[in-house]
Amino acid sequence: MLTKKTKIIIFSLLILLGVVLLTYGAFFHSTDVLPQQEDGYPPIATSEPALIKEVSVGGVKRDESGKIKQTYTGKAPEACPT
Amino acid sequence: MVEKTKLSNPASKLPGWRMWVQSAFLLVWLDPLGLRLHTICSPVFHCYACPLSTFACPIGVIAQFGALHIFPFMAVGLLIAVGALFGSLICGWVCPFGLLQDLVAKAPTPKFDLPKWVGCLRYVVLIGTVLAIPYLFAEEHPLFICRVCPAGALEAAVPNITSQAIAGQQIAWPNTLKLTILGLFLIAIFFMKRPWCRILCPLGAIFSLFNRVSVFFLRFNADKCTDCEQCHKFCEYGIKPEESPNDLRCNRCLECIRCGPGALTLGSIFEETQTLKSAFENPERKS
Repeated sequence: MLTKKTKIIIFSLLILLGVVLLTYGAFFHSTDVLPQQEDGYPPIATSEPALIKEVSVGGVKRDESGKIKQTYTGKAPEACPT
Repeated sequence: MVEKTKLSNPASKLPGWRMWVQSAFLLVWLDPLGLRLHTICSPVFHCYACPLSTFACPIGVIAQFGALHIFPFMAVGLLIAVGALFGSLICGWVCPFGLLQDLVAKAPTPKFDLPKWVGCLRYVVLIGTVLAIPYLFAEEHPLFICRVCPAGALEAAVPNITSQAIAGQQIAWPNTLKLTILGLFLIAIFFMKRPWCRILCPLGAIFSLFNRVSVFFLRFNADKCTDCEQCHKFCEYGIKPEESPNDLRCNRCLECIRCGPGALTLGSIFEETQTLKSAFENPERKS
């Protein structure tokens, strides 16, 4: 049985962890995404919020070499293909 | 006997508000302002491919990020923070997919109970289709969560198929497995209470892990319990709240707090919990 104090400590740690992860993801985390046509184009550093939007429409994929690549050129797809 | 049945507990009125709260939140999730804030996850099970979705689905994002081999900091951070605050209260009071099942459950059809062990399948779904399969096989695998998710089928595939049919375009049918799961789900919701939430929901599995430490929890006051077992009848999921008030299967619908003697209430970890403590430390509390 967890005591009140233990529960408050666990809760505080969880909230802290959640807020730290959220903040890091929202403001500091980014991933390099290659455009669909790689020829000469450098990878674009994509923030996590932008990447969330991309995955929600199936706009990025991981290729055999482990690089993240856009699945489209020009206008993004409207909905997730799954 | 009269003492057992009268509603002396003010909190017992809370469950009456549940449908209103769920409906109010539905307005948040269904994007009435057309904001399409898909750069942010919501803490509920609502497919981002739905034409009416304000936020991204956290389970879909976790699975898709897993397929990319990227850690989803925002989705995980949000679920930890929301889980620590509310636990499964989200499932019972906020989730639109739960509301849909609650509404259909009002149909006058016979309802079947489920064995306890089926609740463990949620963790199998979470570990298998949300974490392991996306990471190992990417999104092409037929058991990738979004490929089998009934919420996606109902909220995204059905409206898309309908709009394609109306527009006379070529219809992009979802895979057979997804349609089969949708069919089974649509049958099951008429004969079971919240079958998705209780058997397969990976988001519910995550939130249930926080039930023992979340700010809001179900408090059992042994001193007020008259052993009338009203709470057993109120609980639609076969849980005995006086034995395990923070059961992993509980979705915090709070129906049990309608119990007459007021032995069950919605508590907070910041309140004094002397009676709760005594309930667990004194096994002969009902003598």
